[in-house]
Amino acid sequence: MLIFLSGLFFILPLIVKEFWVHILSEILIHALFALSFNLIFGYMGQLSFGHAAYYGIGAYTTGLLMVKADLPLLYCLPISMLTAGIFALVLGFFCVKLRGIYFAILTMAFGQLVYYIIFQSYSFTGGDNGLQGINPPEMLKNIYNYYYFTLIVFIVASFLLYKIGESPFGYTLRAIRDNAERTEFLGINVKRYMHINFVIAAMFAGLAGALWGPFSRSVSPDLCNWQHSGIPVFMSVLGGPFNFFGPLAGSIIYTLLMAIVTGYTEYWPLISGTIIITVVLLLPDGFFGLFSKIKRFIISV
Amino acid sequence: MNFTFILSQFLSGLTYGIMLFLVAAGLSLIFGVMNILNFAHATFWLIGAYFCYSFWSYLNQSLSIALWLSIPLAAIAMAIIGAFIEIVLIRRIYKRELYEQLLITYSLTLILGDLIKIFWGVTDKLIERPEIIRKPIFILGAPFDSYFIFVYLVGFLVAVGLWWFLRFTRYGHIIKAAVYSREMVSALGIPIPKIYTFVFALGIFIAGLAGAVQAPIGSVTLGMDIAIIIQAFCVVVIGGFGSLIGTFVGALIIGEIYSFAILFWPGGAMVLIFVITAAVLIVRPWGLFGSPTRM
Amino acid sequence: MKKVVCLFLSLMFLLVSKVSFGAQEYPLGVALSLTGTGALYSAEQVNGIKLAVEEINAKGGFLGKYKIKLHIADTQTKPDVGVRVVKDLILRDGVKALINDYSSAVAMAVKPIANEYKVIHIAAISNSENITKINYSPYTFQVVPNSYMQAKASAIAIAKMAKAKKWKTYVTIASDYEWGRSTQKEAVKFLKELAPELTLKKEFWPRLGETQFTSYITSIMAMQPDFVYGSLASKDNVSWMEQAKAYGFFDKIPYPGSLISVSELILEAKTLPRGIIGLTRAPFFAHLNNKMMSNFVKRYFAQYNQYPTDWAVMGYDAVYALKQGIEKAKTIDSEKVKDAMKGMTVSLTRGKLKFREIDNQLRCSSYVGVVSDDPKYPFPIYKNIIEVKGEESERPEKEILEARKTAK
Repeated sequence: MLIFLSGLFFILPLIVKEFWVHILSEILIHALFALSFNLIFGYMGQLSFGHAAYYGIGAYTTGLLMVKADLPLLYCLPISMLTAGIFALVLGFFCVKLRGIYFAILTMAFGQLVYYIIFQSYSFTGGDNGLQGINPPEMLKNIYNYYYFTLIVFIVASFLLYKIGESPFGYTLRAIRDNAERTEFLGINVKRYMHINFVIAAMFAGLAGALWGPFSRSVSPDLCNWQHSGIPVFMSVLGGPFNFFGPLAGSIIYTLLMAIVTGYTEYWPLISGTIIITVVLLLPDGFFGLFSKIKRFIISV
Repeated sequence: MNFTFILSQFLSGLTYGIMLFLVAAGLSLIFGVMNILNFAHATFWLIGAYFCYSFWSYLNQSLSIALWLSIPLAAIAMAIIGAFIEIVLIRRIYKRELYEQLLITYSLTLILGDLIKIFWGVTDKLIERPEIIRKPIFILGAPFDSYFIFVYLVGFLVAVGLWWFLRFTRYGHIIKAAVYSREMVSALGIPIPKIYTFVFALGIFIAGLAGAVQAPIGSVTLGMDIAIIIQAFCVVVIGGFGSLIGTFVGALIIGEIYSFAILFWPGGAMVLIFVITAAVLIVRPWGLFGSPTRM
Repeated sequence: MKKVVCLFLSLMFLLVSKVSFGAQEYPLGVALSLTGTGALYSAEQVNGIKLAVEEINAKGGFLGKYKIKLHIADTQTKPDVGVRVVKDLILRDGVKALINDYSSAVAMAVKPIANEYKVIHIAAISNSENITKINYSPYTFQVVPNSYMQAKASAIAIAKMAKAKKWKTYVTIASDYEWGRSTQKEAVKFLKELAPELTLKKEFWPRLGETQFTSYITSIMAMQPDFVYGSLASKDNVSWMEQAKAYGFFDKIPYPGSLISVSELILEAKTLPRGIIGLTRAPFFAHLNNKMMSNFVKRYFAQYNQYPTDWAVMGYDAVYALKQGIEKAKTIDSEKVKDAMKGMTVSLTRGKLKFREIDNQLRCSSYVGVVSDDPKYPFPIYKNIIEVKGEESERPEKEILEARKTAK
């Protein structure tokens, strides 16, 4: 399955037109963002509505380093992960004390805090203007090369995420999701596990953000506001949060649909909102839930 | 920095606080009773403002009564829409997971936002005020928009009316009981769904009223809802989910912070608001006036 | 599993192939803030663009044979969305030129994309001078007076008044984003040069999209400055003025030289305080003696039953500037058209104007005037107009070169 999928992603750019290579890159970056989010959501069972903050921090770290310090992109990626991780270490310390709706709102409040700080730091971050001139190295300027670069980073990162999910650590997270009290009784420090996981998730979100800047040649504070935090939630729910590949499927569906719909109409919010409501009401486990239902149906027939 | 100056800043903050209270009151009520955080609440608020504009331009604009009629009409229209949405959509998600509820109401903001664009277009809508509220008045030397007297009055009536309703009416008692035990209330033969429809409609009614009251203050435009919903969340968090008095105090705190921060730390007002919200959530997640039993 | 994914993906890609355009068409992209803070001005600009396109197509299109096909997209006033829709317009619809955006932040994010794909990029409303000043792109042209030109124009007017009325103190209120910030900064700098006796008491920075200005209004009134300089746009400007009026603000404190575009004149026709001094970018009534303008106003009124705002005028001009560039190049090849447009003088509704070689900024005028009633129109217009020409208000070339050096 994994080999098949990555094979598909390797071959597709050779078949489709250039615009779709842009969209494919976007799919991968969003998918990495959503996969990292799902570590908190699907595995740990908490809803973060401020995950874009770490994505934005990653994007700005790379942007600033490339524009102001001319640092090569390859160095920027780990530094961005680290910066996002440090922020998550501090902010996450408070977030993991809360559960449910309070967790969601606190992550959102922190997200907005990061957003406004970036927005206000006019001389450093360029304020609402964002940063322009984030040019990838000459070799990656061509979108095809940049796509394959993104693809390799994506495969490595998602492999790591997969391993984390399947490790004892990942299973502890599931246990916390299903019953935090009981896990605590087993002698596991639930908060510490959640905190570590929060930091890991933020680091991968930072990596995704770091890939975005050189892709679109600019970053803006919109990348970290609460509406942007809604995107990985959408994707995970669309694809199915309880399957590792759910967020990837969600990213494919969401990004492709957006590319198609916005080509015809400006009413993308209306359509995406309707889709989300339909999915939540009718397909609670997203694309993968639907898929397994169909499979069961076929088997029973 | 003299007395008049501080007074006029205080009054500005009070005005903003009351506007925020009106937006957040319904949000807090719906959350308190139904346990649903309504992302779309400010979008209903905005639709209320558009309705007010439409009624006003449909009625005879030159008569000053047009505005005073449009405001309650807009609120009633919103109550009907609220009841409708509760019946067709919100009702289906009471027993769902938190994230599903949030996604549904969030999607609602997207859908309603586009519907506003379809029905009212992108042009700003301006209501011309009747003669009586065009000129400012002076309170101890501090200038004051005369329309804000009406805003204060509405804020006061909503606060007292809700308090009285929940405290002293039979219906209010039932609603309060339903918060603590849905089973108990339905065992007594009281239909829970009807109560929920009513509460949701009441919450949207207040949102619509708040929007209609906002309409003559500036222009009514797309996207106003997105700017205010997060602040309304902050109000509810600071005051405590489901607490009426908490919402009121939380709104005033944010209003005053906003009004004074622009003098000392321009641009820092929003940062300060989020810091306070986060601090309250960390130290006292149930808010200043909420009760920890709901945690 | 594989089959499902495969089927699904191929289905998606089948869906997405769009019909390609005919050979005799000129695909023109319009990427504007149709939603978000810029919706009001952008919608009016689209009207101006559509009218110009209709006129040109009625005569056979560009060079008499390339019918213009408009592709309109919404950037939502967000830079990342802007980049995506522009890539879409360029790669999918194959647009050869782009008119974009209301928001300077979006225009600046789009600039490198247009440059990379060699597509002409005309900024027709967004007027931050950084669009042309730094990170210069030979494909980007600006047909609106930029923030520097506007700030200088209003500073010239204010300095004159300050001398006459013996003003000493002032405060500024500007939206907390690129355009508001840069306009305010330049205006303050010019006022220091032109009227050194003035002192700036305080700067206010309401956030973009602010709906409650009362706190700003009361604190400005309490400071009792001799005048207030404002730099707010679109719906923020309307909200600010409406709320300030209710406080009797404009009766007490002069508010000279701030942006009051024709949109605001029309929208706030009944309530706008008369006698205040405003600044605008392309008022149709200043150029009615130009035949192109008077014809445009007539047609625009016939089509939309309203008068064209600045934004409609500049949208119309943007298309005609492109048309004249194509005629000069005698081809629709963007590479040659952009070379032809460099330093070119174009005949627009606002007269004969030249694109400056160094930055492709059109040498267009800024307009300062007194808001007054006119029996000919159902809304107030500017009287005693001072037209500050582009040559008088543009930034010296030397400074631009320096800025480019330090920026890199």
